Amino acid sequence: MTADAPATAPEKTEKPVKPVRVRPSGYAVLKAGPRGRFLLHRRSCVVAAALVLLLAAVCVAYLCVGESFVAPGEVVKVILGQPSSAELVVGTLRLPRMVVGLLVGVAFGIAGALIQTVARNPLASPDIIGVSQGASALTVGALTFGVTSYTFLPYFSVVGGIAAATLVYVFAWRGGLHATRFVLIGIGFAIALRSVTTLFLTKGDYLVAQQAQIWMTGSLNGRGWPEAAPIGWTLLLLLPAVVWAARAQRTVSMDDDTATALGVRLGRVRLGLVALGVVLASVATGTAGPVDFVALLAPQIARRTTRTAQIPLLSSALLGAVIVVGGDLLARRLFSPTELPVGVLTAAVGAPYLIWLIIRGHRGRSGGTA
Amino acid sequence: MSPTTSDAAAGPASATATAPGAGEGRLAARALTLAYEDRTVVRELDLTVPDGQVTVIVGPNACGKSTTLRALGRLLKPRGGAVLLDGTELARIPTKQIARSIGLLPQTPVAPEAITVSDLVARGRQPHQSWWQQWSDEDERAVTDAMARTDVTALAGRAVDELSGGQRQRVWIAMALAQDTDLLLLDEPTTYLDIAHQVEVLDLVRQLASPAADGTRGRTVVTVLHDLNQAARYADRLVAMKEGRIVAEGRPGDIVTAELVREVFGLDAVIVPDPVTGSPLVVPGAPWSPAPSASSSTSVPASASASASGSDSASAPTTGKVL
Repeated sequence: MTADAPATAPEKTEKPVKPVRVRPSGYAVLKAGPRGRFLLHRRSCVVAAALVLLLAAVCVAYLCVGESFVAPGEVVKVILGQPSSAELVVGTLRLPRMVVGLLVGVAFGIAGALIQTVARNPLASPDIIGVSQGASALTVGALTFGVTSYTFLPYFSVVGGIAAATLVYVFAWRGGLHATRFVLIGIGFAIALRSVTTLFLTKGDYLVAQQAQIWMTGSLNGRGWPEAAPIGWTLLLLLPAVVWAARAQRTVSMDDDTATALGVRLGRVRLGLVALGVVLASVATGTAGPVDFVALLAPQIARRTTRTAQIPLLSSALLGAVIVVGGDLLARRLFSPTELPVGVLTAAVGAPYLIWLIIRGHRGRSGGTA
Repeated sequence: MSPTTSDAAAGPASATATAPGAGEGRLAARALTLAYEDRTVVRELDLTVPDGQVTVIVGPNACGKSTTLRALGRLLKPRGGAVLLDGTELARIPTKQIARSIGLLPQTPVAPEAITVSDLVARGRQPHQSWWQQWSDEDERAVTDAMARTDVTALAGRAVDELSGGQRQRVWIAMALAQDTDLLLLDEPTTYLDIAHQVEVLDLVRQLASPAADGTRGRTVVTVLHDLNQAARYADRLVAMKEGRIVAEGRPGDIVTAELVREVFGLDAVIVPDPVTGSPLVVPGAPWSPAPSASSSTSVPASASASASGSDSASAPTTGKVL
């Protein structure tokens, strides 16, 4: 009785396959070896190349400018390890601090991109899902209880950041990770942890409170090779994971059902992305304190520049580095000889940007429905 | 209720025996029970999806039709029973492997912001790709073909956000097609579309299921539709659900009767042959009009109770409001 069903189907339309082959717009296919085929977003490649140049320029400027001006030629000499009169100023004072800033910027840039991707929210960043506050609470607590060694304090931040984010993740989990719940619970935790920090601050004596305040603003003051090594190693070790994340990000940018239907193991991929982002953000916070807004700014600017459907990791990392190194350069020189913490500067730029982002978002939405 | 269910369950089995090739199905549900939290939505459902045909699931709101479709596409874990793909439980097959056999388009898919049409369609190739093989000739062929079939090739470089509802739906279907699966599950693909676009999408569905010129079997499509008449027009096999159970199952011409419409939807209707296709056309009773003598408040509950013998839950709120 159902045998004749296919016969009732209307005309068999065989559309001819057009000779024009469709590739995803804006992408180039890179062949590597007999089987390797990579999709490269052309504009992203151009933007990344431009950012490398910009970063190089900012870094040279960072090393040249200061209490005393050092000619770029001398700077290059120092970097190449040749004997130079600027060895002390550039090699011992400015270069290590710049490297720390660069690594912190890269880590925050990638962390922000990953967290925003999973939270599906351009406003999500380590300071919105509790990483910065967790790090602050534990670090300030440690300071209050007499741990003043800068060798140990970073570990408290790293543990605090990861612990807070883990709690947020666990509480936000209900048979799956709901993006909005993740952000809301993160905000709740951030507020609670901030009050814990305040409690520690009021308990501690005046000097400790001041020290804690400076740490919480985020600063590269006094940072050098000892701080650069741990974050440098972390980034290097996590590089394979970051390369994986760059591709995995593509798959979680769809809604849950569509992504699952496409064979993505959403739960695992998201957990992997968040874990990577949280570790990077925590290590960066441990190194320089919560340099606010870098993780928020870098991915959003990067995405708007590359015009990709997902946040570009490489450009976010490079932009993060540009923002922190450039910001620290300004923070050092703007009110010289007083050195501002770099966090003051990134916040001064970041806050208006945040407002602009929100206003623009609302306009876009109302424009869309009209 | 239970005798009806067992009758329906026996239906496809007998069809398999009598119609070789048409009743076989790669995808089947066995004693499937589905629940959200502690609310059971589908109970002990048995269904075999016939290969190379269009199966349409219909039923009143909240009857569990979309839930069933989600479970067929492993978006929802069964509380009891199982969904079988080629005889293997879906839960035992890696999700990426499932994605090479079953494509699914959810009711309201969400595209990443600012994504272009060709980029979105290309993402349908996800299950066929790996980290070191992000774009093959096969990917390119499938995407090109899917975009041509859905007539969105000209939109390739446009942002999905800028498209009209009809265009966007075609793009999403193109993405599901690019996945190049034997089985395609579409959850209310015609929602939010005007009638011309609805017909366009449904014609495409028929086209997909029709055998190719070289005789290879067409794709198997399972779709949920709201419109009973469209379902009757386009389905090879119609599955009518109510309260989480299959009430009737078979060719539209065989099962769509005034009794079925009354039982499933609680609606009094006349069934006439569709003037174009000859498929059953459901024409509901005359619209409400003010009774000449009696007050309207008495006539509404009267008609509601007349049609609500089977589904008092549906008519209860109405009566409550009137009183």
